[in-house]
Amino acid sequence: MQRLLSLVTAALLAVPALAVSQVKIGVINSMTGPQAPIGENLTNGIKLAEEDLAAKGIKVQLVWEDDTGKPQVGLSAMDKLATRDNVVGVVGAYTSAVTNAVAKKAEQYKMPLVNPVASKEEITRQGYKYVFRVSATTGDYAAILLDMATTLGKPKSIAILSENTDFGVSGAKSAKDYADKKGIKVVFEEAYSPGSPDYRSTLVKVKGANPDLMFMVSYVADAITLMRQSRELQLTPMAFLGAGAGFSTDKFASEKNISHAVFSSTQWTPDVNWPGAKAFGDRYQKRFGKTPTYHAANAYIAMMIMGETAAKAGGDREKVAAGLRAGSWDGLFGPVKFQDFDGYQNQNKHQMLVEQVQDGKYYTVWPQALQSGKPIWPFPGWK
Amino acid sequence: MTIFLQSLLSGVLIGGAYALIGVGLTIIFGVMRIINFAHGDLVMLGMYASFFLFTLGNVDPFVSIVFVFPLLFLFGALLQKTVINRVLNALPQNQILLTIGIGLILSNTMMLLFTSDYRIISTTYSSGSFRLGEISVSTPLLLSFVITAAVTAVLYWFLLKTDTGQAIRATAQDRDAAQLMGVNVKRMSVLATGIGAGLAAVAGSLISPTYYIFPQVGQPFTLKAFVIVVLGGMGSVMGATVGGILIGATESLAGAYISSGLKDLVVYVLFLLILLFKPAGLFGKSRV
Repeated sequence: MQRLLSLVTAALLAVPALAVSQVKIGVINSMTGPQAPIGENLTNGIKLAEEDLAAKGIKVQLVWEDDTGKPQVGLSAMDKLATRDNVVGVVGAYTSAVTNAVAKKAEQYKMPLVNPVASKEEITRQGYKYVFRVSATTGDYAAILLDMATTLGKPKSIAILSENTDFGVSGAKSAKDYADKKGIKVVFEEAYSPGSPDYRSTLVKVKGANPDLMFMVSYVADAITLMRQSRELQLTPMAFLGAGAGFSTDKFASEKNISHAVFSSTQWTPDVNWPGAKAFGDRYQKRFGKTPTYHAANAYIAMMIMGETAAKAGGDREKVAAGLRAGSWDGLFGPVKFQDFDGYQNQNKHQMLVEQVQDGKYYTVWPQALQSGKPIWPFPGWK
Repeated sequence: MTIFLQSLLSGVLIGGAYALIGVGLTIIFGVMRIINFAHGDLVMLGMYASFFLFTLGNVDPFVSIVFVFPLLFLFGALLQKTVINRVLNALPQNQILLTIGIGLILSNTMMLLFTSDYRIISTTYSSGSFRLGEISVSTPLLLSFVITAAVTAVLYWFLLKTDTGQAIRATAQDRDAAQLMGVNVKRMSVLATGIGAGLAAVAGSLISPTYYIFPQVGQPFTLKAFVIVVLGGMGSVMGATVGGILIGATESLAGAYISSGLKDLVVYVLFLLILLFKPAGLFGKSRV
């Protein structure tokens, strides 16, 4: 009897909750500091999600916290969100370093955390129950590129060049492991310190090793310097492969005589044929005057998932976490489901994409089912 | 052998720009005994000046030096007259704090005005090269080296042959004696700071077509210039020229034969060794 009564009450409460429900969600993002240019994409993606949730009758009250790119600031933001603002869930953070720290804290507070873009593998490999990741991992970045390369051609050797930061080193390690698995010989491997005006001596060595593939993990500015100097030295491997970041920005693509036919792995592109991807790209462009990077789509989808789940769960953190574990979604980011596999917990198996610059524009070229343009293979030589 | 020649060549060519930055620092130090820790930020200002001349006025970065030098010369002179001049006789730590402060103000002002976005100058020759036997020579780097050599030649002529140049050298050798001989040392200080700032900015302009520009780009150059100047001998223009090229070549060869992640380590080990065996620097005169 009592059970029935509580069910009836719950149903009664749930009906108005569905009509206009108000949920309080925290956001941790790098809004200022050195990571701010990419943080801006996350902020904008979340703003668009907020509008779409409102259109669905879910009123979200967002509490914005700026981590300035520093883990310790992210930690105190999480403290504040969990104890003072009393939010039901958090979306964030941007960088791997901040997210890794914040995730630990979320677990302590039993606070559902949806991580949009941080790709360091360990984040969802520590047995956490309240940490959910939409983003792919660094291992996926290398895997999709090498899968494509071995399907399109028969590369026998690879040179791996990365910056000597967390992101660079872990990206290089994943690439090396996957190359070994695929039977591609690593003929050159080096971590450089970013920001140097001269990488020619390193690139001369790469040229000497004569690799079939050249794999690079770099941020914006270094990506351009490396490709300029590769052109100077007339480096001509079968393909140049970039692990996202510096190789998937508009600025890089606009340097036509060095960016043509360069491949880059990415999590999302505006021209991928997932439902709504193109509309999202156009809407973002119109609203903010810039082309969105994959970070914007990741953040959008993370907020949509968190908003919808939180509205259904009605302000209870345990129920939000249960809802995230049980649910599955589909949309402009492709299918999303949080699963346990390969040592991961609550990790989305995301389909990575490869984009290629062709005459200053990005085309999604891999996997074949999702392509918007044919890949140019092998590297056609410098213009 | 190809690797050696290729690395040596690009190292020497990039060392030319380092030398120019170092020469500016050493002239300022020579005349006023002040180490300008804002020097890298002056390089940054030169880069921004070239960037805006290129994007707004379509002036080639290499041509832009004819505007950038006078502009930054005036800026440096103004800085000396209004701020640096006041600490000439102050404690060394106060002088250091002042120049560091100037540097911070410059880079943060640029950040406020133009945000921290990376800016890139793309000229038609930005990634151009031509072959010389087995090795490839970067067109922009070679051009910038030629201009550096020309600027250095003019500077040497100015310091050695003109009256003003000789007065600057006299002030650098012995400020009091120069003053007693009727040299206007105050004016020389203003001139020296102007020339130093102008040279730093010219170096910035010359690097800009192959590098990228953001408000904090200058700081590593300050450190590099400091090493070059100490290595060559504080106050020695010849020393800074040789020191710059030496550092450029060492970096490049270390990148080729050890690891590009460790090239700074090699540079500083070399630096320490030289100081250990020749404390006054390569061309410095011991002041004991």
